[in-house]
Amino acid sequence: MSNLLHFSEHTLQEIALTFMALVYVTRITWFLRRFKAGTERQAPSGSPQTTKAKGVLYSWANVAMPWAMESTRSRPFMYVQFVVFHLGVTAAIALSFVIPYGAELLDSQLVVLLFQVIIGAACAVGVVRMIRRVSNPYIRAISSPDDYFSVALLTVWFFFAVLAAPNSTAMGEWHLLTYFLLTAFFLVYVPFSKISHYLYYPFTRYYFGKSMGYRGVYPLRGG
Amino acid sequence: MSDAKSRSHKAQKVIDRMGQKLSRQIAGSMIACVHCGMCIDSCHYVLANPGDPTYAPPYKADKIRKLFKKHFDWTGRVAPWWVKAGSVYTDEDLQELKDVVFGMCTNCRRCSLNCPMGVDFATFNRMARGLLVSVGVMPEGVAVVSKDQWETGNQMGVLKEDYLETIEWMEEEMRDELEDPDAKIPIDNPDCEVIYSINPREVKYDPRTIADAAKVFHAAGESWTMPSEGWDMTNFGLFSGDDDLGASVAKRLYEKVIELRGKRLVISECGHGLRSTQCEAPNWAKFDVPFEMESSVFTMLRYIKEGRIKVDKSRNPKPVTYHDSCNLARSCGVTEEPRELLHLVCEDFREMYPNRAENYCCTGGGGAMSMSEYTPRRLKSGVVKANQLKDTGAEVVVTSCHNCVDGLTDVIRHYELNMEVTQLVNLVANALVIEEKVAVPVERVPEVAVADLPLAGRRLVVADDEPDQVEFLAAVLEDNGATVFRAGTGDEALELVRREKPDLLTLDLSMPGRDVGEVFEMLRTELAFEDLKVCVITGRPELRRLIYDRSVRRPEGYLDKPVSEESLILNVRKILELAHEHETVG
Repeated sequence: MSNLLHFSEHTLQEIALTFMALVYVTRITWFLRRFKAGTERQAPSGSPQTTKAKGVLYSWANVAMPWAMESTRSRPFMYVQFVVFHLGVTAAIALSFVIPYGAELLDSQLVVLLFQVIIGAACAVGVVRMIRRVSNPYIRAISSPDDYFSVALLTVWFFFAVLAAPNSTAMGEWHLLTYFLLTAFFLVYVPFSKISHYLYYPFTRYYFGKSMGYRGVYPLRGG
Repeated sequence: MSDAKSRSHKAQKVIDRMGQKLSRQIAGSMIACVHCGMCIDSCHYVLANPGDPTYAPPYKADKIRKLFKKHFDWTGRVAPWWVKAGSVYTDEDLQELKDVVFGMCTNCRRCSLNCPMGVDFATFNRMARGLLVSVGVMPEGVAVVSKDQWETGNQMGVLKEDYLETIEWMEEEMRDELEDPDAKIPIDNPDCEVIYSINPREVKYDPRTIADAAKVFHAAGESWTMPSEGWDMTNFGLFSGDDDLGASVAKRLYEKVIELRGKRLVISECGHGLRSTQCEAPNWAKFDVPFEMESSVFTMLRYIKEGRIKVDKSRNPKPVTYHDSCNLARSCGVTEEPRELLHLVCEDFREMYPNRAENYCCTGGGGAMSMSEYTPRRLKSGVVKANQLKDTGAEVVVTSCHNCVDGLTDVIRHYELNMEVTQLVNLVANALVIEEKVAVPVERVPEVAVADLPLAGRRLVVADDEPDQVEFLAAVLEDNGATVFRAGTGDEALELVRREKPDLLTLDLSMPGRDVGEVFEMLRTELAFEDLKVCVITGRPELRRLIYDRSVRRPEGYLDKPVSEESLILNVRKILELAHEHETVG
């Protein structure tokens, strides 16, 4: 292993991770301090089956209940894409820890194959998403440069993660080096891009669910 | 020149005030959107305008979100082009924003419920409306209605004497119908179980719902009353985004209930009224409400379940469907109780699809009925609702919302669906079994002699520049026994009034030729027309100032288009019968 690759796998990742953590802490602090949560003075209304707590749980669980929303129920392929893409992100992040700190795991061909299948599928979804973003007039109209760049960045990162998964330098180090450089860039860029949506997701879903539960809407009734 | 210096005064105020309005919920919704597009076809505007991305919820939301990104978020400040951050600089920019937040969204919240991220567009669209209203940028109809609600305490400018006269009139109707001299609509009785609050639309266009609710309360033996003031449970603050107006309106109602020591406030069937009064206004007003509140749907259902009233569903044999109001289903969770009630009072209930929290807007939500400049756009988006209605095969569409009644009536007329719209209270009242009445067998329906028709012997002039409207109004009035003269311009109306000396003139506010306000003033100032009653019928409420700003006696009646047969006859009768009573008393 070259010094550059070692630096990229360890020191660079640690710097990037620390930077990301610092920015995230600052960002969440800003979000919680700058913006006050609304209070609800009214008595709870709606069905007694609905409460704040149930509303929050339902809202959080929504991501795993594609049948609960018309938008996911009517587009099963989009929902599958969503699941595959996010599994791919998780696997690609995990890989960036496995290679430097638990490389022996990758001695198993099955584990390598599992990483490659999940991340490869996510890479394919990334391509599909990019095509959709460019070709669908509705999505094109709402897209910003950040939207295009974020999808492109992740798709390319997935591609190199697939190549890096065997952790082999038999063909050279360029694929591993690219993967770790991209990972570091990804970690630094994420807090400033839409990819950081997962940071806010628990909050938006929490407050929406709390209000909807308190007012008798969540969990949805009947139907 | 700095960014702030190049901005108009109003635009700067919008930016400044936005900072104060941003709650954590709204800020989260601003940041969290990933432009995934999952919400796009949840919007009825999108479905009715295929291929036009400007109606897409995220596209509309970004018109507001760009301000947040530019002025409050990091990346937008450093690299605005990268995340499409932007600002408003001129009054024209504000006008464009107005067109989006008022004219392209009814705040129905359907996209919010379909967003995987929990982005609540409807809530921050309301915030944007409030910011624009705070600098005087709003559709004229919104300004007119808000002014009425600030000044008179109700959003239709109903005067106290008109309100009380209507209730008195409905009390007489109920008494005659029930043949029960004890049947009353109590006003300002203290210590009652129920204080009943209504929508001013009921006073103006649909007083039958007041009488029907009174019948239900009377049959249930309820201890109830209506307040003489602070009776309007609607709240235009919800639509205009003006929290101060919302707080002021609701406090009048809350304080009246406290003054009367009422145990429970029952809110007549109105989606936004229930949401505002029960859920939102305690927060706007920072007021801890010390009494219970509920929709009259819950009250009526409880009366049946407790055996306090009896109903016979065979009295409502027509196939009915139910339209879930956005505010009831998506903001108050009221979906099952209306259905339970419908199953009890109707023989043939047919579900509409999609329904409950997934139902589509009637097109009249978010105050859209008062924004006449957007009517063509609204009616075009109504094709979604029209198809839903048609597919049910029902003859009657029931809804628990007055706004929806108007929105649906408009859609039904525009798409020629041959359906009628009604509310649960009408069906419950119709199904009521009152022992004395059941004992009298009805053998045949007697033919109505012309002399018995409610407008027999009355002479009326109908003035409107739309030939279809003139024919519709004239036909309805003639069917009820009136002699009708038709005018297409203000001059013709003036001439006909001088020549035919009618009892009442229906007056459109937008007609070619002489200014209608001038015509009205001439009629009011000429001694020969002292007894002439005038009922304004208009599709452009913003033109009311042509009449109401003049220092002459106000018109005796006012109706917004579209006008139903029932509301036309009820209002014309009310004006003429009250005039007759006053003459008799005098």
